[in-house]
Amino acid sequence: MDISRRGFVKATAVALASAAAAGTMSSLMGCSSGNATAGAAGEGQKYTAVCRFCGCGCGVICEVKDNKLISVTGDPDNQSNRGLNCVKGYYLAKILYGEDRLTVPLIRDDSSTKGTDEGLREATWDEALELVSSKLKETWKNDKNRLAFWGSGQQPITEGYCTAKFWKAGLLSNNIDPNARLCMASAVVGFMNVFQTDEPAGCYEDFDNADVFVTWGANMAEAHPMLYSRLTARKLSGEGVRHYDLGTIKTRTSESADKTMLFKPNTDLAIANCIANYLVQNKLYDEAFVNDHLQFKQGTENIGNATDDGYDASDVGKTVDDVAPITFDEFAARLAPYTFEYTSELSGVPVEDLEELAKVFADKDAKVMSLWTMGVNQHNRGTWMNHNLYNIHLLSGKIAKPGCGPFSLTGQPSACGTAREVGTFSHRLPADLVVKNPQHRRYTEAIWDLPEGYLDEIQKPGMHTVKIFREMSKGNLGFLWTAHNNWAQSMPNLTRFLGKGEDNQGIFDTFIVVNEVYPTMSTKYADVVFPVALWVEREGQFGNAERRSSVFEKAVDPPGEAKWDLWAIMEVARRVLDGEQIDGEDAFDHLFGFIYDKDAADFKGDDRETNRAIWEEYRIFSNPSMNEKAKAINDNADGTFEGKLKMEAKQLAPYDEYLAHHGLTWPVREVDGTWLPTKWRFSNGAQEDGFDEVGVAQYGTPGLANDVSFYKSAKSKPSVVFRPYEPPAETPDSEFPFYFVTGRLLEHWHTGTMTRRIPELDRALPEALLNMSQEDCTALGVKDGDMVKVTSRFGEFDIKVSTAGRTQPPAGTVFAPFFAEETLINLAVQDTYCPLSKEPDYKKTCVSIAKIEG
Amino acid sequence: MRISSIVAGASAAMVVLQAAYCATRGETFLLRPPGAHGESDFSAHCIKCGACMQACPYLAIRPAGSDVGMAVGTPIVDARSQACRLCEDFPCVAACPTGALRDIDERSDVRMGVAVIDEDACIAFQGMRCEVCYRVCPLIDKAIAIDYRLREGDAIHSVFAPVIDEKQCVGCGLCVERCVVSEPEVPIRIATDAERADGGEA
Repeated sequence: MDISRRGFVKATAVALASAAAAGTMSSLMGCSSGNATAGAAGEGQKYTAVCRFCGCGCGVICEVKDNKLISVTGDPDNQSNRGLNCVKGYYLAKILYGEDRLTVPLIRDDSSTKGTDEGLREATWDEALELVSSKLKETWKNDKNRLAFWGSGQQPITEGYCTAKFWKAGLLSNNIDPNARLCMASAVVGFMNVFQTDEPAGCYEDFDNADVFVTWGANMAEAHPMLYSRLTARKLSGEGVRHYDLGTIKTRTSESADKTMLFKPNTDLAIANCIANYLVQNKLYDEAFVNDHLQFKQGTENIGNATDDGYDASDVGKTVDDVAPITFDEFAARLAPYTFEYTSELSGVPVEDLEELAKVFADKDAKVMSLWTMGVNQHNRGTWMNHNLYNIHLLSGKIAKPGCGPFSLTGQPSACGTAREVGTFSHRLPADLVVKNPQHRRYTEAIWDLPEGYLDEIQKPGMHTVKIFREMSKGNLGFLWTAHNNWAQSMPNLTRFLGKGEDNQGIFDTFIVVNEVYPTMSTKYADVVFPVALWVEREGQFGNAERRSSVFEKAVDPPGEAKWDLWAIMEVARRVLDGEQIDGEDAFDHLFGFIYDKDAADFKGDDRETNRAIWEEYRIFSNPSMNEKAKAINDNADGTFEGKLKMEAKQLAPYDEYLAHHGLTWPVREVDGTWLPTKWRFSNGAQEDGFDEVGVAQYGTPGLANDVSFYKSAKSKPSVVFRPYEPPAETPDSEFPFYFVTGRLLEHWHTGTMTRRIPELDRALPEALLNMSQEDCTALGVKDGDMVKVTSRFGEFDIKVSTAGRTQPPAGTVFAPFFAEETLINLAVQDTYCPLSKEPDYKKTCVSIAKIEG
Repeated sequence: MRISSIVAGASAAMVVLQAAYCATRGETFLLRPPGAHGESDFSAHCIKCGACMQACPYLAIRPAGSDVGMAVGTPIVDARSQACRLCEDFPCVAACPTGALRDIDERSDVRMGVAVIDEDACIAFQGMRCEVCYRVCPLIDKAIAIDYRLREGDAIHSVFAPVIDEKQCVGCGLCVERCVVSEPEVPIRIATDAERADGGEA
């Protein structure tokens, strides 16, 4: 159905009254499961927060009475969601009050009970902490390669910062990686390869100014509900605004798009190259922009697939990051095969549709926004596809100006803020720094007050996520600690990782610690479960897709003996580091003495003071002038290094500014004593209007094409890297004739551990269904509602078929969501990953489907 | 079958009486299984044998309680508890021995009723991204579609208004079952065809 211009919804007193009533309604329902005495909205203490779920980062107001949340409503002062929420956010208060909250530490004495509902007993914090600390210390002292921490894009910023500091500086280990590896890693490697700085140039305000939206493998209508509301609003309010939806399946997003282009898996690479080829061959690219801003490269090709454990160390695996400069003409020659005809034949998209899309990018006046998420990132060539999207936006100069730009959406509330900006990855240090770069290590040592060279021991990256779990399955991991994720449901290839087969029983021998708020698939495999605070039960911060850092205030206390994750981390850190020294001082005090009193076993200040103190240290990374040594390294004052670090490119403001402004988009600049956010990075213009005036003045060159200056990129020139089409890791054959696509649906978030405990959302979507085309159903003799067994080379699961059409895969492709633990689809999903980003491809496992009779 | 036929014959007199009673007591509001052809026709044929209830794989069809007078024991669907799932082969219709449920070849033949939304109580009409009713609809984009409207006083958000197509909605009630709002009442309900013909609340 097309969106056409329609009238405003009538502003009636009834509508306003019912909106007010909804808040109250939500409050009453929110507390009804929390055993609180019901109170009407408007009576309690109010706190500002950010939604716990997706990467949109909607602002909410928590209202509290008697230490209970009595309502959570949209924050009308938040400029992104303006008081609105999706249905998940509408019932947000209830995530705290599920009946089975974990409130006491749990210990498993018999590891053979792993994978069952039995075997965990209650313990004291002291016993649990001693056990975990002794196991970690023992593993650390014996073989540092056998320990790992698996974090999250849901971990608040200050917690992620302290975890990374403990792991990297305290334990001198790079075996720390986040679940963001499963969703954003390809985007990150794309950003770093192209711009040498992570995260988009643009912001959400681009939605309000675009003429054309192109969604690439993104079901925004379900996965980014409030941003999609913004996209559709632009279509309604602007003249002739169009939306093209490209994907391998038809979704709810396709339904409202003006045109849907269904392509064969992986041919998105070819489609982007086809657009680039059209621009180049017809000289329709932005020549001034190309001359002023771009450099051209090509990289290693025919890179095969990272399905086997030995891939990274293989000859090709070791060269996947290599690139070499080429001329523009050479680049053009590489693109030349991607004609409309060839690309159409490869992709299945009609020539005229490809041409229509190419002309969008050729239109000098059109403001075009490309939006993508998991279809692009969870892709065996995910990094390449990120490259190819930047290529078409860079060639056409459609970047870094209002309404225009490639915009990588994020799936988690703080994938950007924590995993990416803090750098809880196996190869990273805070603020875009990487362990392998000596200047980056020196800079980090300066801020962490470590002796020069201290971090040289971690110059080699640690294990990425899939490697952590592969090594665990082989018995090569002694200790694993996980927080803010549910790996036993969200990881691919669970048949292997959960030890379901004959081999790969390592999970039963690895000592596993899980920070959790509810029993999950992962706690079934935990040796120790730490019961922790959920969301506003402590203060924290999220950083969303538009570079907006926001604080969520502590509103209520955690239940029972549940504790702030950071307290548990400090308590383990002080035990493990006991007797260790850094620079002649007690190691724990050296790293965390500024916030934690180890003798008192508590933080020195309250939640606010602790967070502020951590933030002020973290903030030095992007404010080098706060630390003399750091400033000298940033400026390359003594000429030791290749050049300046330009760390101010990600500048963060003092902590209290975020509270005052309900979040700010970095870089945040101090102008005449006022901290001003940046909406469009690299784009010259008034800082007070959201442009990057301060950044361009400090490190860039004003007056170049489009008045943009990519000052953080090498030679100030982003890299256009030619990346060819290469096929999926598996293609359907007679044994496994279907592509299996996984994803998220609106009502449930990720593995459903929070949303399925909200009765309203559980009612709305109680089971995971396999969406199949009628054509495939007929061929298999299967009908709507039948149970089928889905089998891949990796494993199998049972699921009910639906032909209702919520998601409409073409014949030969099927779709199911991953929220339901009783329908554990990841048992069958391949753990083949993008060789560059190490992010698994959840969208193209080949499967067979057979009806289960009876 | 044989037994059912005998039961049917024996119950004929009762059925006639029941039909007359229903006409005065408003059983037009009862949501009947697929294949019912209006309340008087249904009452005239249904012998309360329970075959449709036994045939339903989702246990969606239940006997009406004593609060509905003479209709007690007749098959009804309480959509909020368990809606009709519109099985492709309609086992309930196939099981009916008397033709009280009949003439259903495909889903679009079903006429249980039509969904009706209370727009003042529905949170989607307030701009929340809900539309659960739409996404669960077995006839998505046909029986329920989204009408995208700019939100009053807010240029950057749309209202995703679920709109029922009365001609295509068959009244299965899955939208009612799944609606997230319960209080003060569920803002979506099925108005039976009979009720609508009666000029009921719909």
